[in-house]
Amino acid sequence: MASEPENYSTLNLKLTVESDRLSLFSSLLGQGFTLKVRTRCSLRDLLCGQLGVRSDYVDQRIQTIFLDGKTVDDVDTAVIRRDSTLALSAAMPGLAGATLRRGGAYAAMRRQISHQNKAGHDSVANGVVMMKLFNLVALELGPGLLKQGIWVRGKHMENFFKKVPDYFWPGCRAAEIDGTPLTVEKIGHLEWKHRQVFLKLEVKENG
Amino acid sequence: MDKLLRIDMGMDGGPKASEEPLGNYAGLAGRGMTSAIVAKEVPPLCHPLGKNNKLVIAPGLLSGSHAAQSGRVSVGCKSPLTGGIKEANSGGQGAQVLARLGYAAIVLEGKPGDDTLYKIVINKDGVDITPDNSLKMMGNYDLIDTIREAYGDKVACISIGPAGEMKMAAASVAFTDVEQRPTRHAGRGGVGAVMGSKGVKVIVLDDTGMAARSPKDPEKFKAANKAFVQGLKKHPITGEGLPSFGTNILTNVINEAGALPTHNFKTGRFDGASNISGETQSEIMKARGGMVAHGCHKGCVIRCSGIYNDKDGNFVTKRPEYETVWAHGGNCGIDDMDAIAELDRLDDDYGLDTIEMGAAIGVAMEGGVAKFGDAEAAINLLKEVGKGSPLGRIIGNGAAVTGKVFGVERVPVVKGQALPAYDPRSVQGMGVTYATTTMGADHTAGYAVTANVLNVGGSVDPLNPEGQVELSRNLQIATAAIDATGMCLFIAFAILDQPETFEALVDMIGAFTGQDLTADDVTELGKTILTFERDFNSRAGFTQKDDRLPDFFKAEPLPPHNVTFDVKDEDLDRVFNW
Repeated sequence: MASEPENYSTLNLKLTVESDRLSLFSSLLGQGFTLKVRTRCSLRDLLCGQLGVRSDYVDQRIQTIFLDGKTVDDVDTAVIRRDSTLALSAAMPGLAGATLRRGGAYAAMRRQISHQNKAGHDSVANGVVMMKLFNLVALELGPGLLKQGIWVRGKHMENFFKKVPDYFWPGCRAAEIDGTPLTVEKIGHLEWKHRQVFLKLEVKENG
Repeated sequence: MDKLLRIDMGMDGGPKASEEPLGNYAGLAGRGMTSAIVAKEVPPLCHPLGKNNKLVIAPGLLSGSHAAQSGRVSVGCKSPLTGGIKEANSGGQGAQVLARLGYAAIVLEGKPGDDTLYKIVINKDGVDITPDNSLKMMGNYDLIDTIREAYGDKVACISIGPAGEMKMAAASVAFTDVEQRPTRHAGRGGVGAVMGSKGVKVIVLDDTGMAARSPKDPEKFKAANKAFVQGLKKHPITGEGLPSFGTNILTNVINEAGALPTHNFKTGRFDGASNISGETQSEIMKARGGMVAHGCHKGCVIRCSGIYNDKDGNFVTKRPEYETVWAHGGNCGIDDMDAIAELDRLDDDYGLDTIEMGAAIGVAMEGGVAKFGDAEAAINLLKEVGKGSPLGRIIGNGAAVTGKVFGVERVPVVKGQALPAYDPRSVQGMGVTYATTTMGADHTAGYAVTANVLNVGGSVDPLNPEGQVELSRNLQIATAAIDATGMCLFIAFAILDQPETFEALVDMIGAFTGQDLTADDVTELGKTILTFERDFNSRAGFTQKDDRLPDFFKAEPLPPHNVTFDVKDEDLDRVFNW
């Protein structure tokens, strides 16, 4: 489920990073982040209508889609509900990749995990969804979402700072928590667990 | 490529090489060649490590030419792991150099009367076979360093490590890559043990003075190859995904599908998947000065491999592939990329199949030998294999043996060979292939997703749930045919999506051989190969009961989707009805 326990405290983290460090956020985007969106809509409406993804990008680039872990074949009929988990990927290699591909020739080989819409019980039209972006889709859609801001679990943020390669740090020019500047070196040593972090990036060209 | 090189290792007075024309084997290559020779010449009931087994090494149809992606080499024999026919294939430089030397296959036969170890050197002047016991129990890396000192850095090598010398059923045959490192392996089925049983440590291939193979129609070939390369480069999988993330691009996606076998196939999701994903792996490699896109042989334009360095920037291994990352990672509960890279390096050095080793260690963990997630214990277990200790010999003989010794019920094998990195409960069509392929559980046996494009078996309705058997059949036929061409299976994606790339491939093969290839020809070739293999296995004692997944796949629901494998046995028995 996308929601964290209500007693988790929240904080706003703004980082100013050089553009060639953006790919380092792929692992964070792959672990999952939440967005507040309008739910009870089609997947295409979420991606194109709410998040501003081009329709041709959805049709051509996003070839592997999971909604709550089930493989989606039709972006126009799959319904996004409150607390859904949505994962997006480009086309994948291998027979498994071809099998998981939406509407692919080998879809029958994974029919047990194909997504089927179920009658919804939620009456709420707004909520959060958890998104995961993988591989080329993370590289291409990630920067835009990171500039708008995403909600990240504290443990994922902590894991990111713990494991990010050393060359990230010289390219991280500034950091603010809840509007207060702090030295970049400090953010890697803060306690992030049991928090929900609203992460927003400002991107600077290298140099 | 118009002759066979036979080397009888058991001749009185020492091994003897002889050349002969291709005869009835003319026109065959790769898996087509290895399976034809094994099926015709090897007694199916012979001991796999005995004098009557043969080890066949055959480059692909276009190997040695300038055709892109034509560098696969097949290694065939009766498998000591499965007891059936085996074809394992590999990248590296071996196929190209062997083909340029003019050989359609090397056939190692007989068996030395003692434990002398031999080195075979093949160049334009002929074949030299010499005893060299100084190479005994040498790891593949040290071995290749020794060979480089003696023969220079241009030769290609085919070798075994200590696992092959100890005749372990998980032993691989190594092929050197572009940098002359022993990183490419014909991994599956214990082909390295058969090479070890023949007393051959290394085959050194020197194509100095030999030209690339010439096509029948050079101009048409050149144009088709150019169009083929353009097609590969513009496709998102072969032009972007694989060069950026390698095959390990699959970890996150298979995990999200709930199909990543975790903790010896207990669950389909691994909490630590993100730490060992292709995305994370590429960032580590970039940060340490490694190489993210790298070809395993000259002429590769997809470049799904890479260079993985340690924290100090020193080479550790090539980019561990998805199946390796899964086997030593999620399957054993390990989410440390450096530990997985070290395990991959050890596998390559000892000469072991990474899939079989990861599966065997997972089974050993289930049996209480070590704890899931304990990377240090996994590394130590693999070192036991390298040393040949009693525990190491158990694990080095694969998951099935390990499961028996430690009393484990959940042993993921078919025909004695470990299942690869896709749980058949989630992707049931792959389970059909795992169960029925002649090779034992093998993800590449039905890998050629071009089957529909080639119209192999006619058109199958993809939305028909009963179509899985037909799809698996068609995929296995198409894969057998592509394995015979020596083309990298990854070309399948561009062929699947881009008609002009498929056309370019057909034109390229036609221009090279002088014969037009039709879809019917492809289907017939694939069926012929599978028929050889099925016939061999039948004569070796295999029956329908061997075409089954282990019971636990039907009995234990796999989280998170809680699905079981539900394809009926009678449907599995229809796969080869054509």
